[in-house]
Amino acid sequence: MSAGRVLRGLLAAAAVLAGAAGGLIGVCGPFTDTANDGFCPFVLEIFTLNITTGTTATTFSPADNVTRLQMAAFLSRTVDRTLQRGSRRASLDQFWKTQTLHDEALIALGSSPGFVKSDGADLWISDQTDDLITRIRGSDGKFLQNWISSVNPSGLLVAIGRIFAAGNLSPGRLYMIDPGQNAGAVTTVATTLGAFPQALVFDGVKIWSGDFSGSVSIVTPGSVAPWTVATVTTGFDAVAGMVFDGTSVWAVDTNADRLFKLDSSGGILQTVTVGNVPGFPVFDGNNIWVPNVLDPSITVVRASNGAILATLTGNGLGGPYQAAFDGERVLVTNQSLGSVSLWKAADLSPLGFVSTGGGTQPHGACSDGVHFWVVLNGSGSLARF
Amino acid sequence: MRLRRFAAVLTAVLALFAGGAAGLLGTCGPFTDMANDLFCPFVLEIFYLGITTGTTATTYSPGDSVSRLQMAAFLSRTVDSVLLRGSRRARLNQFWTTQAATALGVTEVGLTPQFVKSDCTDLWVSDPGLQIVARVRGSDGAVLESWTSGINPRGVLVASGRVFIAANTNPGRMYMIDPSEPVGSVTTVSTALGVFPQTLTYDGSNIWSANSGGSVSIITPGGPPPWTVTTVTAGFSQPNGTLFDGANVWVTDFGAQRLFKLDGNGAILQTVTLGSGLAWPAFDGTNIWAPGGGSVWVVRASTGAVLATLTDNGLTNVQQAAFDGRRVLVTSGSDHRLALWKAADLTAIGSLDTGAGTSPLGACSDGKDFWVALSGAGGLARF
Repeated sequence: MSAGRVLRGLLAAAAVLAGAAGGLIGVCGPFTDTANDGFCPFVLEIFTLNITTGTTATTFSPADNVTRLQMAAFLSRTVDRTLQRGSRRASLDQFWKTQTLHDEALIALGSSPGFVKSDGADLWISDQTDDLITRIRGSDGKFLQNWISSVNPSGLLVAIGRIFAAGNLSPGRLYMIDPGQNAGAVTTVATTLGAFPQALVFDGVKIWSGDFSGSVSIVTPGSVAPWTVATVTTGFDAVAGMVFDGTSVWAVDTNADRLFKLDSSGGILQTVTVGNVPGFPVFDGNNIWVPNVLDPSITVVRASNGAILATLTGNGLGGPYQAAFDGERVLVTNQSLGSVSLWKAADLSPLGFVSTGGGTQPHGACSDGVHFWVVLNGSGSLARF
Repeated sequence: MRLRRFAAVLTAVLALFAGGAAGLLGTCGPFTDMANDLFCPFVLEIFYLGITTGTTATTYSPGDSVSRLQMAAFLSRTVDSVLLRGSRRARLNQFWTTQAATALGVTEVGLTPQFVKSDCTDLWVSDPGLQIVARVRGSDGAVLESWTSGINPRGVLVASGRVFIAANTNPGRMYMIDPSEPVGSVTTVSTALGVFPQTLTYDGSNIWSANSGGSVSIITPGGPPPWTVTTVTAGFSQPNGTLFDGANVWVTDFGAQRLFKLDGNGAILQTVTLGSGLAWPAFDGTNIWAPGGGSVWVVRASTGAVLATLTDNGLTNVQQAAFDGRRVLVTSGSDHRLALWKAADLTAIGSLDTGAGTSPLGACSDGKDFWVALSGAGGLARF
């Protein structure tokens, strides 16, 4: 009996392999008005991917023109399907969105962790109280290293095969870690940044810091320390977050409620008025998401022209502090409410929010391509979403 | 003022709002001729992504037909947007292109590193100078292992959970590493390849070597060594590079100045005449990028048609091409330069001087960074 069932199963499988998929009874898949010719596979692909459903259940109307409205639907669905299927999460069969933060997703850190960055494999977390930079393995959350002697490490940057941390001092400092070496003391590569640097970005040549005292510093990497630093103060009041959009560096001025587009010398090219007390933004490939702490809101700015596309409110925002992007979604930490909010990056639609717990004070955030990682400053831990 | 505002940031407890997006004054985002109906989110998505800007700043003209020209623009922007956002670099917030030699992260790996391949996590680098194959961790550039390779390790292949290395010997050899084993000596799985194998590729069943002695070898993995080898010489002069496009193996022939498309037995199906100095090509999913001399030829794999001959990055001694999903990088040895093109439209992105004497040769992508063997400097550069 069992052998007979196995045989029948094999025969059925062979029949499926030998012929076309069952259930599609038209000429080209379900479509009776489309020839089974060289174009049919293209039509079937966008049908299978649910980019089109046809003009009816059995017709595709292949000769009809496409209106701009219909085209928008096709292109929008194409973007969504491609990003979803091309993501690492899809490859790992992880289609869920975390809706409850369980204890198992928390990794204990030091006294006051601040910012986090991924190098693609490990997470690097700064702690200004313990003066530590901690390395955590992303795949399993295992503690790997503590790097010491970095006074007030703040914003982090992974670039040119090194880890950089802003030293939140006056004058500001820039620390460097060679992650291929054994843990020890960081290397101080500059001690003349503007006062109280908060965030770092790299433009392919130079490292930039946003300095809370009212400047941006431009650091030129070299073979020996100290590295050359140029600090620009004109037009700045209290710079916090920074992003690089592939062409220009942008700086958020927390006190002026402005987003500035900078030229390669730090001069202000364009000014965008954002919300009340902007924090630490992220670039998603097209747009810059600026969290506004006191509104609370998110200003979405098109990087190519500086136009404000939308000001997002609701979706659990409460003291939004830092934004992070994982290829499909933008996550924002809500420092005062103890939660994170998520949006679909492509159409700015809200995906909901998740509590991290009272007093957890979510602070820095990043993506490693699979997970979002959020620093819970108030509870001294790192959360995996 | 500043302290007061900053303190407010830390202490504010803020009420939730009803939600939504403000700042766009039309009925559907900025568009006044669009209903806020089921189609509106689709239009807004392609507007936010920069795929459309509308027919004017406030109109989308939803009932208009789309010409083929407009469609080309929409599709091109869609591809660009998806590839950019879907890249590992975007997920790690790395939107820069390295532009200075001082910004290359260089790992010292040996004496004369030649070729490099990624297994997604680590890099494997052949070094005939020290006769080793080095394993470098991609995340931080740490040298993890040095495998004793035997004579003249050359092209590297990662397939079937193993690392394979062509040995540039007469007759040719192929070495194998089990990366899960403790570091030691490589395993020689064949000593009967054609003369002077340079590079390897895999077609899902067999491993192929391009042998500059004038042949192509087809190696069938399996069982204890030596593995079965078939060597084909008909029509070849000095095969150099090889790749698999998902359907066929292709070989660049330095001596014949041609690109050959092969059938499953190594016979030449199609000949594409290119030019001198043909080296080590890359496949980008649609097209083959074949570097040679001062040119990079772009050949459509489905037809063998030459789409373009690229000379716009000013190189004279191009060596190997590599593809990262969006960009093609080409090394140029005596120029000591790395050049980049946008793979989707063949536009030059720029080039970078790696420094005199560095002689960049082999290159690969691990999906995030390009990695380049600096054969003159004993280094592996992260680009």
